[in-house]
Amino acid sequence: MLKKLLNINNSVLWAIAFLSILVPFFLPNRYFQDIAVLTFLWAGLSSSWNFYSGYCGRLSIGHAAFLGIGAYSSTILYVNYGISPWIGMVIGGVFSALAALLIGGTTLRLKGTFFVLSTVAFAEILKTIAIVSKDLTAGSLGMMIPYDPSFANMIFQGKIPFAIITWAYMMIVIILCVRLEKSKLGYSLIAVGENQEAAENLGVNSTRVMLISYVVSAVLTSIGGTLFAQYIMFIEPMSLMSVGYSVNFILYAIAGGMGTAFGPMVGAFILVPVTNLLRGYLSFISGLHGFVLGMLLIIILLFRPDGILPQLKGFVRKLMNRNKNNEEKGE
Amino acid sequence: MEQVIQVFVSGLLSGGIYALASVGLALIFGIAGLVNFAHGEYLMLAMYFAFWMYGIFSLDPYQSALINLALMAILGYLTYKFIMERVLDSSHSIQMLLTLGLSMVLQNLALMLWKADYRNTRIAMTTSTLDLGPLHLSTARVLAFVVAIAASVALYYFLQKTYTGAAMRAVAQNGKAAQLMGINLKKTYALTFVIGITLVGLAGLLITPIYPAFPTAGAPYGILCFIVVVIGGLSSIPGAIFGGLLIGLIESFAGYFIGPAFQQAAYFLLFILVLIFKPSGLFGKG
Repeated sequence: MLKKLLNINNSVLWAIAFLSILVPFFLPNRYFQDIAVLTFLWAGLSSSWNFYSGYCGRLSIGHAAFLGIGAYSSTILYVNYGISPWIGMVIGGVFSALAALLIGGTTLRLKGTFFVLSTVAFAEILKTIAIVSKDLTAGSLGMMIPYDPSFANMIFQGKIPFAIITWAYMMIVIILCVRLEKSKLGYSLIAVGENQEAAENLGVNSTRVMLISYVVSAVLTSIGGTLFAQYIMFIEPMSLMSVGYSVNFILYAIAGGMGTAFGPMVGAFILVPVTNLLRGYLSFISGLHGFVLGMLLIIILLFRPDGILPQLKGFVRKLMNRNKNNEEKGE
Repeated sequence: MEQVIQVFVSGLLSGGIYALASVGLALIFGIAGLVNFAHGEYLMLAMYFAFWMYGIFSLDPYQSALINLALMAILGYLTYKFIMERVLDSSHSIQMLLTLGLSMVLQNLALMLWKADYRNTRIAMTTSTLDLGPLHLSTARVLAFVVAIAASVALYYFLQKTYTGAAMRAVAQNGKAAQLMGINLKKTYALTFVIGITLVGLAGLLITPIYPAFPTAGAPYGILCFIVVVIGGLSSIPGAIFGGLLIGLIESFAGYFIGPAFQQAAYFLLFILVLIFKPSGLFGKG
């Protein structure tokens, strides 16, 4: 019974995810469409982070490193060598996979705060590499992508094509998370996150399980990095690869519900528009949106540590029950 | 050779400040076991306070030190009471995210209140130098170093020689057992947190004559302190002092011999190597 109702709830979330693509078509202008694109993109990025950290419960605050690898790979190849960002996206994914193997291989066995700090350390080292390799990346000046719209260049007139691409990206990541939840890998990952020793005693190869999902998470983030660079058309290491950016990944996931396939999407759908509108309309108070996000993080963690998705589900469940009761009474 | 000595001394002087800020975190994280990702933000707040006391009342950071430290202690207590005490038994992940949120709030609050401008506190000591043979040392930096090391060593003796200090160490080893021996757990946690924040505040006011105050001035210190504490072996105060000095030296030498951009990367690399090869810390036991 409960399971059936949960499925109904999930179908509501599926419907929201699928139908959200219609939203940009009804938005009045480019400003709101821009917010829609960023919302899809961040929903996808946060879900990518969720693929490892959400299900395993070990927080990476260094995911901006993979965002940076994805963004820089495609941009360097496109700007310096004229290679299509679609190909650059794949190559960036390969680089991110290699980086994730290296980082994961050395740090995944660390626990708690040590793992978290090591992800920050790796992200900072990669940031330094991006700043120092001036010949390739133009250092802290940043790289500009020239405006030359065509499908092959992944540059478009108007916001709608990018809304479709980022929505598709988000959907792919969410579908992968749903698949993960029902797979042996997913069960093992959650088990390792809850109690590594117990999982290992039951025959789970914890290193392998963690490494696979960490690499997948990194590659998905990297793809988002390429989309990010192509959409903004300017990348620069100091902000792109900073801890501040990494925190966004986590924030949306926590707000919606870590370790649930739709949690990061729900978090991003609410928080990205709210913070962007705050930034847009109250821009004279600089720092306001960061302040609000930080307060939200504190409030959610103190009072709703599972995020708002379980609350929403409970709410929908109540509604369903009420309808059912009414129906039964009616009969 | 002279230059190498200058680089060495310069690194050592910065290292003293890192040591003091890290000793505060060694108390909070190493001994009380509380993760505080907003540690650097209290350093930033102390810097701003010292700046405003100078700007408004013409009190230099040393003259306003006592009020500043009292304020930091109060802030530390409020943070403990309203945030940390609720998550004493929660996982480190929750504490970490919570204090990450706190650091966002404090940084952005500073941005809203005082804008992103760099606020320099130029007192006489900012520009005066001590000349020791071939070495020219900034008086403010030497003073900061001396006070920082003295405060860190004083804390070490406080932990070793006083009843309260012993209680803190007992709680660090085994909270439940300490409670059975009649130690008030919550009081001890509160005191540990307050002392930790006050110490990082002291580091903040000591560097105010040297570095400008701005909303993200404390951010690099937050991560750096964690690195120092891990390298120093978590709960070891001498470990944190030597770790701080070591990081200062590494930063200084990497900046001089490899390039300024590598200052931070160098100690991040050392940190990863320590985590891989000697996770108990360079100065830790076992």
